[in-house]
Amino acid sequence: MAKEMIAMLLAGGQGSRLYALTQKLAKPAVPFGGKYRIIDFPLSNCVNSGIDTVGILTQYQPMVLNEYIGNGQPWDLDRLYGGVHVLPPYQQASGSDWYKGTANAIYQNIPFIERYDPEYVIILSGDQICKQDYSDFLRFHKEKNAEFSVAVMEVPWEEASRFGLMVADGNDKITEFQEKPKNPKSNLASMGIYIFNWDILRKYLIEDEADPNSENDFGNNIIPNLLKDGRNMYAYHFDGYWKDVGTISSLWEANMEVLDPEHSGINLFDENWKIYSRNSGMTGHKISHTGVVENSMITDGCRIDGHVKHSILFAGVKVEEGADVEDAVIMGGSVIKAGAVVKHCIVAENVVIGKNAVVGAMPSGAEKGVATIGSGIQIGDGAKIGPNAMINKNVEGGEEQW
Amino acid sequence: MVNSNADALGIIFPNSYDSLVPELVSERLMASIPFAGRYRMVDFILSSMVNCGIDNISIIVRENYHSLMDHLGSGREWDLARKNGGLNIFPPFAEKGIKVYTGRVEALASVLPFLREQKEKYVVMADTNIAANFDFKALIEAHVKSSADVTAVYAEEKIPESARKTDVVKDLYYTLNIDNGRVKKIYMNSQKEGIQNYSMNVYVIDRELLIDQIHTAFVRGYAYFERDILAPQLEKLNVRAYKYDRYFARINDMKSYFDENMKLLDDKNLDALFEGNPIYTKIRDDNPTRYINGAKGKNVLVADGCVIEGEVENCILFRGVKIAKGAKVKNCVLMQDTVVEEGARLEYVITDKNVTITVGKELYGTDSFQVYVAKYQTV
Repeated sequence: MAKEMIAMLLAGGQGSRLYALTQKLAKPAVPFGGKYRIIDFPLSNCVNSGIDTVGILTQYQPMVLNEYIGNGQPWDLDRLYGGVHVLPPYQQASGSDWYKGTANAIYQNIPFIERYDPEYVIILSGDQICKQDYSDFLRFHKEKNAEFSVAVMEVPWEEASRFGLMVADGNDKITEFQEKPKNPKSNLASMGIYIFNWDILRKYLIEDEADPNSENDFGNNIIPNLLKDGRNMYAYHFDGYWKDVGTISSLWEANMEVLDPEHSGINLFDENWKIYSRNSGMTGHKISHTGVVENSMITDGCRIDGHVKHSILFAGVKVEEGADVEDAVIMGGSVIKAGAVVKHCIVAENVVIGKNAVVGAMPSGAEKGVATIGSGIQIGDGAKIGPNAMINKNVEGGEEQW
Repeated sequence: MVNSNADALGIIFPNSYDSLVPELVSERLMASIPFAGRYRMVDFILSSMVNCGIDNISIIVRENYHSLMDHLGSGREWDLARKNGGLNIFPPFAEKGIKVYTGRVEALASVLPFLREQKEKYVVMADTNIAANFDFKALIEAHVKSSADVTAVYAEEKIPESARKTDVVKDLYYTLNIDNGRVKKIYMNSQKEGIQNYSMNVYVIDRELLIDQIHTAFVRGYAYFERDILAPQLEKLNVRAYKYDRYFARINDMKSYFDENMKLLDDKNLDALFEGNPIYTKIRDDNPTRYINGAKGKNVLVADGCVIEGEVENCILFRGVKIAKGAKVKNCVLMQDTVVEEGARLEYVITDKNVTITVGKELYGTDSFQVYVAKYQTV
């Protein structure tokens, strides 16, 4: 039976600006918000929107992501017909190819899409934190009788030139596309989420592949080609929470915003739009007699004997007595030893911060750096890590890094 | 075929000792009593079996098992959604003239055809009033090594006052007289003071032998495995005793339910119960727990999904508990989705699922007697 709409999730990005965090895993697998990974958001959105078939296009460091997705059961995407499928590049009779660009990644998986004979295909991005109802987006797409729709966000005019911008008329019909222009004509930024009529997408993917000069990219090639041909293209306005967490500071900021859902707009506590994730299976968290927790989010398996303020702790984090954690994102399994001071920073998974070590610093003046410690790193006793440091090698006791 | 699994199947009796905690089982059974913040009693024995390679597990339910069915589902969370073996739930046959079983003999008689078809050499039987990270591998090894007919597990402990006082015939308890590892006598509802060899009602037995014994006993109209099969045949059957000396929690009454929860606030006990093999439970996909401005948590064990704005001290909070601003909660066990509204004060209170304590209400129990608020009640 044909599916009305299936999703293709672009998850091959290296996330090079997250450097220390993406040495061993792809950006969509980066942990977020206490018990999630970034990819939980688009996957949960799919399920909550009624999409039961998702192809995940992986390329860079796929192991963690593959293992995490598994059979898709945590997202209720283990289906007899459809469900979640990880689609890495593969060898074909005619040779093998890495995914050359976003459009090429979809092009190489045309046979996968055709198995489901969909009317529409939604292209999603695996590096955004966003709660969005794709079924409302599809309703818009159908109402406009569109061949292509793109989800857009209004951004402040002064920042507009950082984005790919859609210029649209009063009826939301797209008339022009500007990629990071110097003189923006619009403040409608593309979120990188598209709905295509499958016959149109298929046609343009095949044409694009045949063009030797193409970069095989949606933003640079497919969308301009659609415009050139005067296709029915519409901009769907989204005004909920949306964040591209491509940099250390935006990832840190998005985590901090989780602590303040009343103002930031990212509410993980919504019973009607749950974000699903693979569970740690650990027992509840424990705060001891000496532990103090203020304005923070704590999950299963944490043991808190020290002071935790305005921070997010992932599963199984230990904060020993006398340790001081503030404005920090501490990912799963990390240990903050006695007397350590950990501030305004991101600590990846399974890190050990030695006794009395200092990591990061609260912002002062123009200095707002978010110190970052890569996964599995050991920071020796009494070591000092400055607020702009990005650590992906063990640091000996007493050493300083800035 | 490589057999990486234990050569044993598991049988669990989820209704045993329901009579000891009538309040908690008014709408459930022993197996589905919430325990330790995010678990149900059955999770411990079930996970222990799974972790020891027992992947053919039957649960013979008697009554009030709606909540258990809901909790277990297909058994997937315990890795028991299997083509071969996996989780079997045996509900009572709804037949005219057949009453629900009282003892293990009747329960097992109802599954004899199933037992005959299985391939495992041994059967491990257990109740759900004990929460332990049980090493069934070691138990089965000991059973095989000693060439016993039956191995009975016991712990050295005092028989709790409440058990001794109970006059309910339905749930017997047993103590063992042991000589050189062999069980010489089994006492029922002993009134003895001091440390006893208190049976944990966990047994390993050869499957064929169990089938024979149950068949004979049932034909004769017997009800209880210990009273009617083991006790009269201790000369004939080689029943060996196996001492359990690791951490466990046994639910005898409301007081012990409260105390055993509270004991987990000591890291030593929490580690002892949970270290090593994981205990699985039903996933709820709660978000992490949030402590908002002004929240104070001291000596607390808290599951995910809670929102804490008030003060909590010496408490066990289950999933989805909400503590509003200005509320003070001390020495309490609050089960799933309990809501404590602004300014309320609780001390020594056990709230069941979905209880609401409205604005400014105060409830005080004592160290020896906790106030219990039943499921869905609003105070």
